[in-house]
Formats: sequence, structure tokens, C-alpha cells
Amino acid sequence: MPRYRIQYSKKGPACYISHLDLLRSFERAGRRAGLPLAFTQGFNPHPKISFAAPLSVGMSGEAEYADIELTVAMPADEVFHKLSGSLPEGLRLLEVRPVSDHSPALMTRVDRATYRARAKLSHPLDQKKLDEAIASFLARPEIWVERKNKAGGKKMHNIRPGIFSMSGKSENDIIIIEAELKAGSYGNVRFEEMLAAFQENSRLPVCERFMLSRTGIYASRGQEKEMLW
Amino acid sequence: MELLDQILPLVQKPARYTGGEWNAIRKDWDKVELKVAFAFPDVYEVGMSHLGMQILYFIVNSRADTLMERVFAPWPDMEEKMRECNLPLFALESRRPVRDFDVVAFTLQYEMSYSNVLNMLDLAGIPLKTSLRSKEHPLVIAGGPCAFNPEPLADFIDLFIIGEGEEAIGDFLDIFRDGRRRNLDKKDFLLEAARLPGFYVPSLYRVEYGKDGGILKVGPVCEGIPEKITKRVVRDLDKTPFPTCPVVPSTEIVHDRIMLEVLRGCTRGCRFCQAGMIYRPVREKKPGTVLRQAAELVRHTGYDEISLTSLSTADYTPVRSVIAALIEEHAGRGVGVSLPSLRVDSFSVELAKEVQKVRRSSLTFAPEAGTQRLRDVINKGVTEEDLMAAVGAAFQEGWQAIKLYFMIGLPTETVEDLDGIVHLAREVLARGRKAGVPRGRLRVTVSVSSFVPKAHTPFQWEPQELLAALKEKQAYLAGRLRDRGLVFNYHDTGVSFMEAVFARGDRRLGAVLEKAFQLGCKFDGWSEYFHLDRWLESFRQAGLDPEWYAYRRYNYDDILPWDHISAGVSKRYLVLEHRRALSGITTDDCRTGSCPGCGLCPVLGVKPDYAGGDYNAPLPDTVQ
Repeated sequence: MPRYRIQYSKKGPACYISHLDLLRSFERAGRRAGLPLAFTQGFNPHPKISFAAPLSVGMSGEAEYADIELTVAMPADEVFHKLSGSLPEGLRLLEVRPVSDHSPALMTRVDRATYRARAKLSHPLDQKKLDEAIASFLARPEIWVERKNKAGGKKMHNIRPGIFSMSGKSENDIIIIEAELKAGSYGNVRFEEMLAAFQENSRLPVCERFMLSRTGIYASRGQEKEMLW
Repeated sequence: MELLDQILPLVQKPARYTGGEWNAIRKDWDKVELKVAFAFPDVYEVGMSHLGMQILYFIVNSRADTLMERVFAPWPDMEEKMRECNLPLFALESRRPVRDFDVVAFTLQYEMSYSNVLNMLDLAGIPLKTSLRSKEHPLVIAGGPCAFNPEPLADFIDLFIIGEGEEAIGDFLDIFRDGRRRNLDKKDFLLEAARLPGFYVPSLYRVEYGKDGGILKVGPVCEGIPEKITKRVVRDLDKTPFPTCPVVPSTEIVHDRIMLEVLRGCTRGCRFCQAGMIYRPVREKKPGTVLRQAAELVRHTGYDEISLTSLSTADYTPVRSVIAALIEEHAGRGVGVSLPSLRVDSFSVELAKEVQKVRRSSLTFAPEAGTQRLRDVINKGVTEEDLMAAVGAAFQEGWQAIKLYFMIGLPTETVEDLDGIVHLAREVLARGRKAGVPRGRLRVTVSVSSFVPKAHTPFQWEPQELLAALKEKQAYLAGRLRDRGLVFNYHDTGVSFMEAVFARGDRRLGAVLEKAFQLGCKFDGWSEYFHLDRWLESFRQAGLDPEWYAYRRYNYDDILPWDHISAGVSKRYLVLEHRRALSGITTDDCRTGSCPGCGLCPVLGVKPDYAGGDYNAPLPDTVQ
């Protein structure tokens, strides 16, 4: 069946839409748009929409990806125009491209993601100090964080191998931290846990909760990241 | 960063508080003269499932001079954060504080939401009592079914709108706007408003009490204010505005589907049922209207299910042809039809069969009482044969789970009636086995609530059964409904007790509500937040006895706290119905052609409106 890959952003009120609700939101948007959505068979049919990687509730996404299957082929432009006008506030379609039937599932291609965190500082921070803090954080051979599993148990994980890069910027009373982290089904590092580990280490004068966004999701070729198209 | 964005990551289900849903209307605040906040005193998922809110939101936002935004009760985790950060209650569209609005309009769907009304006012930074508010504060108004006994909230609400809101909201906005332009102060505005039909200003009525605590007299404090406030009623359901662009939530809500009202009112005349009395007369939408609205709703919402709502959709005259037409038009695109409730008969099962391709859920029937004698007392026109025919058909059609609703504590109930519940449950179970439903799959759920006498019903004079007795009855049933495949559910008797107090309460209960709010009562409809001990403490502090309210048997000539509010049904009819109940005599539905003489049509100048076209001329109030 014809498959389309969409790139979209999820910001503002939409960044609080949970993963499950997001599926429902796209389904309803698709129906409003008059798109011939394809459904799974069985007792509880659901639309064939799959996302590249779930996004934490509250984090915005600047360039997210999903695959949508239709029952009837139509030009990608037409899918774009129909769906664009039917999305709730905060969900914005950026691009639609057709995907060949044989291309692997979107989720299996995901290898890494880039993130940005932004927060207010209680007092100005010297850029050099910030750079040093990051350098010393990255210089650690191992960075252990605690994760809860579903059963309620706790387990320690070393996230250092999953941190590919990290940088920071301090301007007046604002701090911005960016990072490229391992994503996907194996070795995934959550940006929140990396930030917490960094904060614990560096004790920067951040006076509010970080505003988080995922700025991109990528596949990889060798050591390089590659677009998910 | 905005304060709200600092809080939202810390609370459960933050999408409750963000707004920005599909079809939400955000108007330019500075270009609109009147700002109304519609307040639903329960959590988002419940409030967003309420059709009345969507109707009023649509009507008010259709006016160029007015905007309406939504606000719901924040869940306790959110409330805690809001209080911690001094974030006042805000409306979803503009995120402005509720206290910046001109009007705050509450809907009163059930008595156990009253504590949330007070809590929301407090969170908004609005003084609770009407006497402490001036025109600098929003005007606080309320409507909905509980406004038919508005007295317990008389201290807090400036103005109640009695009856159907879409009929009255335009008048309200007009006079409020005119009052604003003339710079009227609150008192003068309310004096003018109280003259309009269906508008009740409690502060303009004085209540005098006798030595026994009963009411001696209720009347207006000055001339020109009506003695009696009669409900507003929509005459033609086809012509009244109905939103086909409702707000579609981005998070799952209780009724997460298209709610398409096909008729209003129910004249079956069950004697315990308040909705059946206050939403008279029956008015049906024409099939053409239903089909047109359904098509628009599907296009504008993207939902995959159309629920045909009403108090009794199987009674909708053209129900069968409308369902067939809806299925033909929409099933191809994966949009189904559903019915929110079924009558206890095989016709309803046939309807359910037509709409449900997959037998995924259980079917629910409400015989309400266990014996024919008691079903006649409550005028529930259902026989054991009806029930068996219905469940037989359901099992035959492949359903494996049946839910049965009953009430305990009904007037004249004896142990035989409880045994009748057990008997019916077992019979249904046996019918399922006979039909060959696998033992492991067969399930009959018996859900038992406690009878709460409600204002404006034939049982309004009846006391509620003692809490201890209700508990004993629950235990009696629990001990007997133990067969494999039977599931027994029952309601918290403490909640029913408080519901009875407020359903028939008077305005002295305002003091109790205020204490209860101070003691932290909120979300009383949610068992995890209901604390009977806090309520009892509130009564103690207010010097009032809850048992006096719940267990009082009124005489026919007593003045009832809600006697000055008229649902259009005559008191003589209610008395007659009460007497017939105690004699076990049933009364026909006015659909059958024999007018029971409830007196409504002549008083309101309305008549039943059936989409089939046939209608029987109602008699004037002939009850002697």
C-alpha cells in the first residue's frame, strides 16, 4: 500500500500530547483531511501510522518523522496540503515524501537524535566555565545513571557511549545546551537523564526547569548521521 | 519561560491544561465586549464529554460581541502546584485568569460537584459568597439539572438560569451587555435580570423557617420579581443551534466520540427520574437534520464513531431508518454508530446488533428493581419477560457479557425485592448458559446504586433509606450474588447519603458547603477523594443535621425548598403519581396517546414534537 513519510514539528500545546494520543490525533486529522487511511485488520483496527521514535511528554520536537499508509496512492503534495490544514495547534507539517514499499520500517533506521535545552540562569555564567564543565563531563570514561524498569526495580546504565557530542552557550541570563545522543531500540540515551547527570556534576546556576526540544532524528552511515528520508 | 510550562511537566496528563485542541476558538480578547468563562466543576475528561458545554460554547462564540472560553477543575496534583506557585485558575483558550472574565458560568450536573464549584472560585481568587462580590468581580452564574434545586448554592451563585441554556443564554448576554453599557452596579443588574423568565436571583428571595426547621415562606424581597421561576425550554430542536464543529480533545476523554443529540426529553415517567421530569416535553429532531449534522460532524471532527444521544434513543421514532442511513453513508470510511443506552427489550438488541459489527463490549440493561411489584411502584414499564427476551436475543447475537442496573432503597422495598434482584441475575446467567456462551466468557454484572430522592419527581417527598440499612442490603446482595459468572458492584452509601442531603437541601446548607471546602472536600464524585468524615464535621461545625435533610419525609402541603422553581410539571400531577406509586398503579407514557396530565404543555405553551409526525393533543391539567 502507498506509504508516505512525513516530517513535522510538535510544539506549544502539542508538546503535551502523549505518544498514544498523538496517534489518535493524526488519525483524526487524516480523517478530517479526507485522506484514505489504511487500517490494520482484526477486531480492533487502527490506522497504519508509525513514528520514528516516541517523544517525551513536554519536550517539543522540531523535526519529527512518521510513516502513514494510505489505501489509494496520491501525489505527496496533495497529502501535504490536505493534512496541513487539519492538524491541531502546535502540530505543523514540514514535508511529505513517498516511501518505496520495500524500504525498511522507519523505527529500525533511527540511530541518533539531537537535542536542545534552554533555561534561565540565576546569575551570568562565564562561557569558558561552561565549556570546561562540558569538557570535564565528556572526559569521564563512564557516566552511570539509574533507570527504573517496569517492575519498579532500579538498574544502573552507563550512558557515556551514547553521548556523541555536547556543547553549551551562555548568553546573559540564558543557558543553552545541545547534544547528539544515541537513539533507537539499542543503547538509547534520554536527554533528560544526561542533563541531570551533567547538572549533578557541574552545579550550574540554573534557576528554572530546562525547556527541552528534540531538534532532529537521524539514521547513520558509519560515524556520520544521515537524514531519515 | 511561562509559569505554566514550568508546572506542566510535573503533573499527570498535562494535556488537560494546555488548550489548543482542534476547533477550539480563541478570539481576540481586546476586540470582544463580553468575556464568559464556562466552568465545569470536574476534571477535563469529564467536562469535555458534556454536550451542553459544546452547545453553549458554539452559540456564545458565534456572537461577534462575546467570547466563551473553557475551564475545568484541575486535578488535585495540578491544584497543589498552582497553589504552590500562585498560579490562579485560568481559562484554556487565552490562559488568562478566570477572574479577568466578565462572567463565570458553572454547569451543575451532579450534587457532588458543589465542593469543586467553591474550590474553583477560590483558585480563581474570586470571593466565594455573592455578598462579598461587586461589579469588579465576574458575575457568577449557573445552570444545568441541579439548578432545579439551586438552594444549597444560593450563597455563592449570583444568578441561576433554569431550564435549557441555549434558549436563555442570548437573553442573558443581551441584558448583561446593556447593563455594562449603562454602568449598572451588580445589585441593579440583578434586579433587572430577575424579571426575565427562567432567571433566578437567590439573593432577591427571602426564606422564612418554622420552629420545626421546615420552610414557612419563600418569596421575593421586592415587587416586580416573580414568585415562581419557570424553566426555559427549546421549542423546535431542528431550529435550535447545534454545534457541528465541536472541540476535539487531543487527549482521551470519557465520551471520546461524536455526540449527536437526536431527541430531548423522555416521557416514560419513571418516578425516581429527575431527567424524565425536567426535560419535558419530548422533542425529536427530523431525520434530515440528524443526517446533515452527522455528515458535518464527521467531516469537522475526524471521530470514528457517532453516538446518537438522548435519554432513551430507542424511543426516537425514526431510529431504525436513521441508523440504516448513517451506516450506509459513513461505514465505508470506518465511521460507526453507537447507542449510549438501551431499553429493556429485544427491539433495542436488534438496534445494537445493527450498529455493532463486532461484539466487543457488553450490553447494559436497567430493570432498576427486582420484582414486578416494585417496578410498577417506580413505573418502570419493564417485565421479566421483556428482560429475558432482551438478554436472550443478546446472547443469541453473540454478546457474552451483560450489565444490569438496579437500585436499592426504593420506596416500599422489602427483602423480596432484593431476592428478586438475585433471581433476575441468576435467570440471566442461566439464559446465557442455555444459549451456549462459554462458561469462562459468560459474565453478568449487577450494578446496584442507592436510591436518592430528587426534587421535581413524584418521590420528592420520600426519605432516603438509612445508611446502615443500605449497607445491610448491599451485604445481603453480596452474600447471594456469588455464582460463577456474576459480578456485583455497588456504590458508596456515604456518597449517596450526601447526594440526598443536597438534592433536597435548602439554602442553609451553604454554610456546610463552605466548611466542607475549608476542610478540603473536593472531587466528591471520585471515591478516592470522598471523605464522609469531613462532611459530617462540616455539618457539626455549621450546626446542621444531615439526617434531617436526607431522612425527612415531607408532607404534600409542606413548602419544599425548590417549590418556587417550576419545571412545568404540576405539583398535583406529582402528588397523583406518588399516590399511584404507593398503590402500585402504573402510568402510561404520553407517547402512547393517553396523556397522563402532567400539566406541562398548557403551562409552557409547548407540545410534544415527534419526528414521525404523529402527536396526541395534551390535555390541560386534568388531575384532581
